[in-house]
Amino acid sequence: MTQAYSNPLQIIIDEFKNISPEIKRTFVFKTNGEIVACNETTTDDQSKKLATTFLNLSSKAEVIGGIETLTIQGADSQLNITSTNNNYYLTTVSSRSVDVKIVTSLTRVIIPTVMTLMDEISSDTSDNELPQNVESETKPTEEVILSPQEPISNESATEVQATFSSDPPLPQPPVTQFMVEKIGGLLVPSDTVRVDSGVIKKWSDLYGDIQITQIHIETLEGKTTTCKFRPVKEADINAKGIIQIPEKILQSLQTSKGKLVIVKPVITQS
Amino acid sequence: MKQKTSHSQEETEVTSGVGSLPVGGENSAFASLSASLEEIRKLKGVIGYIIRSNNSAIVDLPGSDKISEYALLTSEIHESCENIKNQFNLGETETAIIEGKNVKVLCLSVGENRISVLMEKDANHAWIIKRILL
Repeated sequence: MTQAYSNPLQIIIDEFKNISPEIKRTFVFKTNGEIVACNETTTDDQSKKLATTFLNLSSKAEVIGGIETLTIQGADSQLNITSTNNNYYLTTVSSRSVDVKIVTSLTRVIIPTVMTLMDEISSDTSDNELPQNVESETKPTEEVILSPQEPISNESATEVQATFSSDPPLPQPPVTQFMVEKIGGLLVPSDTVRVDSGVIKKWSDLYGDIQITQIHIETLEGKTTTCKFRPVKEADINAKGIIQIPEKILQSLQTSKGKLVIVKPVITQS
Repeated sequence: MKQKTSHSQEETEVTSGVGSLPVGGENSAFASLSASLEEIRKLKGVIGYIIRSNNSAIVDLPGSDKISEYALLTSEIHESCENIKNQFNLGETETAIIEGKNVKVLCLSVGENRISVLMEKDANHAWIIKRILL
């Protein structure tokens, strides 16, 4: 798993300085203190000492539910440690003049997304590999000798072919990031969120006649839910990039106003 | 639950919830900061605070069961931040923000006074920093 993470993470971390030159140091460590990826300006000693100090602090932070982020602001520089979704911690050291939005995007969106993808790829690979190994160990090959007179049945082959549709496969649901806004009121249904209408139009364009009635919402902490949606009312002209969520769903996602969530449409192929 | 303690007796007194000593009169900054924190404590989303100087400490946190844990954690945060600051040459530390699952802790030092404010995660810590440093 570590090796699977290490290379893509290393590549991304090396790119941080190109995306935002104010980010001077970046590295990722695990909850056991192992350094998974590290940029060239950070020494082993620095990263290991920081990991040790942080993990020691984290072990005493149960009273606040563990540490999700730590930010230390010095006179000119700041250090940020963010817990990603898989027991990994991303550390950045940057100047105070850094664009906070860029850092937030990198630390709270890009890296967790890459890790999630790596997890999925890793689990897919192991899912595909494991049954083959088990089969080869447990089921010895059986040879079936057919008599020349016995016709070979094409039934199973036909069945397999029938399961393939002539329709082209649907595109993967696009993932969009939104900032959370709370919505309330007497006429607001508690099971329905409101989404930027521009994004809904893109989904409609992408999937054509397929009716999309639900969306999948995921917080950066990994809480997920599926619910109905509507476009944001036209009166809300500043609704670009915004998802309006009623209290009940906010609670179930354990998120709040101003937080980022990742949304994708639920596509059911009829 | 608000407690004023002498530094040497801090741990035992905080955990046992007894004992009170007047704030050191020679530390006017401590008194001034304590007054500011008392006002900040009333803000929505602020759970409580701890302020320590070399001679005195005030702990104002709800309940008694978690006070020692909070005190230990905030002390550890100040120490750890000092270490990290030196390690990465961050310059003089202005603030440290630690976000847990439910609670956010703001730590800062003003002179010899170490301040920790515990608040809900959606509380505006930037405003609280301004208010303390006014």
